[in-house]
Amino acid sequence: MSAMDTDDASVVLPPSTTTSGLSLSLHPLPILNISEHLTRLKLQTNSTLPFVLGALLGTQNGREIEIVNTFELAVDEGEKVDHGFLVSRRDQYKQVFPSLEFIGWYSVAPEPTARHIALHEQFTSYASTPLLLLLQPTATRPVGSSTDVTAQTLPFKAYEPTIEIRDRKTRWMFIEASYNVETGEAERIAVDWTARGGEGGTSVESHLQTQRAAVQMLHDRILVLVQYVTSVLAGQAPKDYIALRSLSALIASLPASESPAFREEFDTEYADVQLTAYLSTLTKSANILNELVDKHLLVASGGRDDARGQGGPRRRGMGRQGGIPGDWDRMH
Amino acid sequence: MSANDTAFKTFSLTNDILEVSPEDEIYRYDKDAAKRLDKEAPWTKDPKHFKKCRISAVALIKMVIHARSGVPYEIMGLMQGKVVGDAMVVMDSFALPVQGTETRVNAANEANEYMVQYIQGSEKVGRLENAVGWYHSHPGYGCWLSGIDVSTQMNNQKYTDPFVAVVIDPNRTISAGKVDIGAFRTYPENHKPESSSSSEYQSIPLSKIEDFGVHADQYYPLEVEIFKSSLDNELLGLLWNKYWVNTLSQSPLISNREYAVSQLSDLHQKLAKAQTTVQSSRPTLPSLKDDTDGPKKETKKKEDSQLTKSVRDSMKIAVEAQHGLISQVIKDVIFSLRPGATPAASLARAEEVMDTTMSLN
Repeated sequence: MSAMDTDDASVVLPPSTTTSGLSLSLHPLPILNISEHLTRLKLQTNSTLPFVLGALLGTQNGREIEIVNTFELAVDEGEKVDHGFLVSRRDQYKQVFPSLEFIGWYSVAPEPTARHIALHEQFTSYASTPLLLLLQPTATRPVGSSTDVTAQTLPFKAYEPTIEIRDRKTRWMFIEASYNVETGEAERIAVDWTARGGEGGTSVESHLQTQRAAVQMLHDRILVLVQYVTSVLAGQAPKDYIALRSLSALIASLPASESPAFREEFDTEYADVQLTAYLSTLTKSANILNELVDKHLLVASGGRDDARGQGGPRRRGMGRQGGIPGDWDRMH
Repeated sequence: MSANDTAFKTFSLTNDILEVSPEDEIYRYDKDAAKRLDKEAPWTKDPKHFKKCRISAVALIKMVIHARSGVPYEIMGLMQGKVVGDAMVVMDSFALPVQGTETRVNAANEANEYMVQYIQGSEKVGRLENAVGWYHSHPGYGCWLSGIDVSTQMNNQKYTDPFVAVVIDPNRTISAGKVDIGAFRTYPENHKPESSSSSEYQSIPLSKIEDFGVHADQYYPLEVEIFKSSLDNELLGLLWNKYWVNTLSQSPLISNREYAVSQLSDLHQKLAKAQTTVQSSRPTLPSLKDDTDGPKKETKKKEDSQLTKSVRDSMKIAVEAQHGLISQVIKDVIFSLRPGATPAASLARAEEVMDTTMSLN
């Protein structure tokens, strides 16, 4: 609480007092939507930090929230949200994506202020606890931290609103909530493809590169963990029992696929795929053989043909009437 | 770098200078220029005026997700954007509440009201661009325009030009791990394209081949490009740090199973058809080196035999399945070994898969 006493303007509860128990997943689409909204407004208003406001759409199941999509919001003078617009847009999205609900709003700012509290109060009629997602445009990462893979985070912060009672008065406060990035398969491919500039994709090479990058990422993270455990063993790092326990649980779950049922399934899958490859090779050989036979026939009958004979068989295939007499008995 | 950065930022803040990197410039919308261009309408003079279709990252992702959410039905939506030179630039897209069937999608009147309302609303929130096109999905049968699509697009080009048609195949997107997208414009009604340059071969299910063949020379494809802002770029880089897990945790074999089966049965039908044609009418392709005249070559290219086409289809199926298997085998090597055990068996398997894949190509 001391942090708050010293700074009256802060509307964010320090993480030590309460932690948000939300399990929040964020999809790449809202992230890119907000980025696009900001870029566009920057150019339209010719300012470096325009006022950006929009709504978050997603699904909520108990304490699990998924942010799937967003739309921009219109603002009247005095930062009044255009409620008519909000409702009509929300209903429009509802028609196309019936599962998505209004679950919060986004803006662009370094951190929440009293201004955001005022805005927040305008959203409470649409959802009981509208979330706030903030893009922090100026949050620059310290240079040189690239060795620490976990330090590179997205410049987004999610906040859950809560009511705080102080001096017999209630007021809204924000609690920072952590989030994961989640993607659907189609979304992942689209994002991946965009990141690579919309090129390539089907070759073995690029497929292997994607796999390699993912495994590399896993490896880097495991190295971080190993490093941590080594330093705990050496007594250089404090013991974090929660982390250690989950580490040990993780190790206990390996090897991940030893159950016979799984092995069997995997073997079947493997055989299926190899059979597909076999089928494809067979088809290919059949085609090559067929071509060979055709060529052989052409050569065999070639002695009787004149120079135009080459065109003959082809034409005969298109329309039987156009053929050259020399080829008519080719198949006999 | 950071010191420079800060200095530059303070400078631009105090002077109110907005730094616009060249890649962001495309996000600006100039109403007057758009009006002028609309009056000039260079696209009315040349039926092939537009050569490219540039799609923003956001619009693309929205369309792909929408298309995927609709499987197995076709879905449809509109795209907002502008014209820059010979390119149609798509800035954003939105879905329409149209219930398609498995093979057809058509905007009815109920969608029109939605459309008008949405576009009017967009202006309020600084999305100033007009509608420049429509998109719809072809789940599982590739990107091309069907007869209905061609007439829809022709109407659109007649009354609301500039307009572009975009087709997305969500099933192939998933199975190939690459967005399967095509942008098309139709020719004016009685325009004869000088050369029917058959574009890249794509496999089309037997049930659709007739529809595809009849209308194939009534439209032409635009080159599709993706663009993103500098902030998008940065975010995409950071996103990878978060979602690499999904690359490992998803199994393309399982998510594609249904589609793979449908592909195989389609292949079976095609092969059955090829079987009947193979003996009776299939002549050899005399592609000899001394074949010099150009147009002849062109026609020859088109008449690949049924069997050759089926071979391409089967290769595609096999290669995609192999890719899925590679991911699975890699995971097997990484996650299912007891400490101390020799990974020989798993590694041998991985090697086998790689060999098969290489030989397939």
